[in-house]
Amino acid sequence: MNVIKRPDSFAPTSSGADVAAESARWIEQAFRSAAGHPERRRFVTDVGIAVEPLYTPADLDRIGFDYLRDLGFPGEYPFTRGDRPGMNRTDPFVVSAYSGFGDAEACNKRFRQVIEVGAEQILVALDLPTQCGYDSDHEMSTGEIGQVGVAIDSLADMELLFEGIPADSLKRIGTLGNSIGPIVLALYAMLGEKQGIAWDRYTVNLQNDPLKEYIARGTQILPPGPAAKLATDAVAWCAEHAPNWSPMTVCVNHINAGGAGSSMGTAIALANVRHYLELLLARGYTIDQVAPLLHMFPDERHDFFVSIANLRALRRIWARMMKETYGATVPEAMACKMTVYGHGQEALAEPLNNIPRTAFGTLAYVLGGASYIYLAGYDEAVSTPNENSARVALRTLQILAHEHGFSDTIDPLGGSYYVETLTSQVEKQILDGMAQIERIGGALPVIATGFGRRVMTEGAVRRQRAIDSGERPWVTVNKWPQKPNVPNTAFRGDATAAQRQLARLASVKAERDGKRVSAMLSEVDRACAEDRNVVPSVLEAVRAYATVGEIVDIWRRRFGTFMPSTDF
Amino acid sequence: MPPSSPQRRRTRVLIAKVGLDGHDVGARVVARGLLDAGMEVIYTGLRRTTEEVVRAAIEEDVDWIGVSILSGAHQVLLPKLRRLLDEAGADDIRIIAGGVIPQEDIPDLEAKGIAQVFLSGTSIAEIVAFINNEAQPRPEAEAKGAQ
Repeated sequence: MNVIKRPDSFAPTSSGADVAAESARWIEQAFRSAAGHPERRRFVTDVGIAVEPLYTPADLDRIGFDYLRDLGFPGEYPFTRGDRPGMNRTDPFVVSAYSGFGDAEACNKRFRQVIEVGAEQILVALDLPTQCGYDSDHEMSTGEIGQVGVAIDSLADMELLFEGIPADSLKRIGTLGNSIGPIVLALYAMLGEKQGIAWDRYTVNLQNDPLKEYIARGTQILPPGPAAKLATDAVAWCAEHAPNWSPMTVCVNHINAGGAGSSMGTAIALANVRHYLELLLARGYTIDQVAPLLHMFPDERHDFFVSIANLRALRRIWARMMKETYGATVPEAMACKMTVYGHGQEALAEPLNNIPRTAFGTLAYVLGGASYIYLAGYDEAVSTPNENSARVALRTLQILAHEHGFSDTIDPLGGSYYVETLTSQVEKQILDGMAQIERIGGALPVIATGFGRRVMTEGAVRRQRAIDSGERPWVTVNKWPQKPNVPNTAFRGDATAAQRQLARLASVKAERDGKRVSAMLSEVDRACAEDRNVVPSVLEAVRAYATVGEIVDIWRRRFGTFMPSTDF
Repeated sequence: MPPSSPQRRRTRVLIAKVGLDGHDVGARVVARGLLDAGMEVIYTGLRRTTEEVVRAAIEEDVDWIGVSILSGAHQVLLPKLRRLLDEAGADDIRIIAGGVIPQEDIPDLEAKGIAQVFLSGTSIAEIVAFINNEAQPRPEAEAKGAQ
């Protein structure tokens, strides 16, 4: 009987066989020779790395791949394969929702819905007036109340927002609050107090990364120096009072989306990390104390494999930077914890196609080992996610966490000729970017010299050209083009929310003890003047129902405001 | 170009961010694109009030204002901008807008005097073509007289 021979019965190739020479021969024969197949286009990633038709062990030799040095094991230095030992086998990534619109009352209903669907963490989307430090009754708030997020003027809004949602019923609660870090920290601390839940029984996560706002997101209020100092006040306060919280998430996301590309975006974000850390170290905190309080928010939304490589490279760079540059000694300080927000180059035409796009984009983050994962609504290019798209986003995360074996084994692409090569190439790009930033003097000069805006605009123009020319294929945009369509099903906030918010703000101002508010605001001012940590005084002001705008006004008077650039 | 030149002057465009929306990548990419297409372009920078934009548009003597708005405040801010321009006697300055604007809001915005709304996915070439087709670049003297 003829049987197919078992694989181990074939003789191994002789050890002298040269994979590199064979690979070069094959590529030449298949593609580059006269008889080869003409390739249909140039293959190059958004970060500018050319993609070869095939990767082999010869590529691992070329990058000098050394398993124990470069990868090691999950939860062990240099943490390339994962920030903790068990990864998704012990604690699946946290299914998270970024949500908020209208006033606290309307928003509370949506929160209950997303929790019902299975959200384990809620990050509150704040409206622009709140993020920029204006109360709802300020002139600058015209038309903006409750638009891109929920309006929060005072602790009264927080109480309503989390009514029936105990702070410890979710794995983490939090918000962005990039330019108002100490205030949102205080709002969440006081929420626990109001609900009778001790700070060590729940976890607050803040973005609180003001430095990227100046080049990417645009909610900056103060000049960058004082803004960074206030942000680190929140971290310093947590080091002493709530070491289980994660009060700062340093972002690549907006910098990449704005055009920098994920490698330079990561370099800029790491320069920002260094600026924050150095402020904290200068105040006497140790690296082992503060590094675990900082999380990263990496981002790559164009190239699936670059995304995986970026997360792996970032963990390796973070570990080496913390250990070698800053002398960290505990694993928690060397393990980079990652929050991600799954995107996938969403388009306006035929928005349902954004479901597979965001699912693929997010799968890369799952394979790359992120711990806290959000996923964009398929209508997010158009509006705040509606109830249906918010549900699909959460269900997609649950599918990624539990179906298809996506998260059954740790770092499943580790050892891939392509992914290891790309990880090493991306790592080199990030380190080169960091060296370039180091030469101009670090994070603040990235803003002051225009370096950040320049790399972003150049990148954004390059991306636009790649789309306009068809070099970067995009289905329904430059391939099978369709008219962009913002559907009528786009989410609309309740038109009465702004009126309710203004009425609530007026009643809070009327009912609170005005003298106490003034006294507490003076104390905030004194803390600023004396260069003390502002958090204790902000806590007291928030407890007395001082508003976000009132506290930020003190900062504006003390530190001045930032004039945005008119360069393009 | 000397003021007495009979040649038509180049189209001048003010790219503007109004309100608190801090996303200006699109605005900057469009600004670059219009510049590359031979127009004169001025950018306001972030977080301008409608009043500031009107003042800048008149001072800079522009033909067009291109407003980028992604925050959802378009229904309030765009008509207000149009009204303030008209009140200031600058009814010859036309407004185009881009950003995140639901389809169903567009007819109303157009009725309120917004010349065109461009959604994400629009190529720079389409915007340039629109301006070049629509624009009747004013001779310099007439442009000055219009103030």
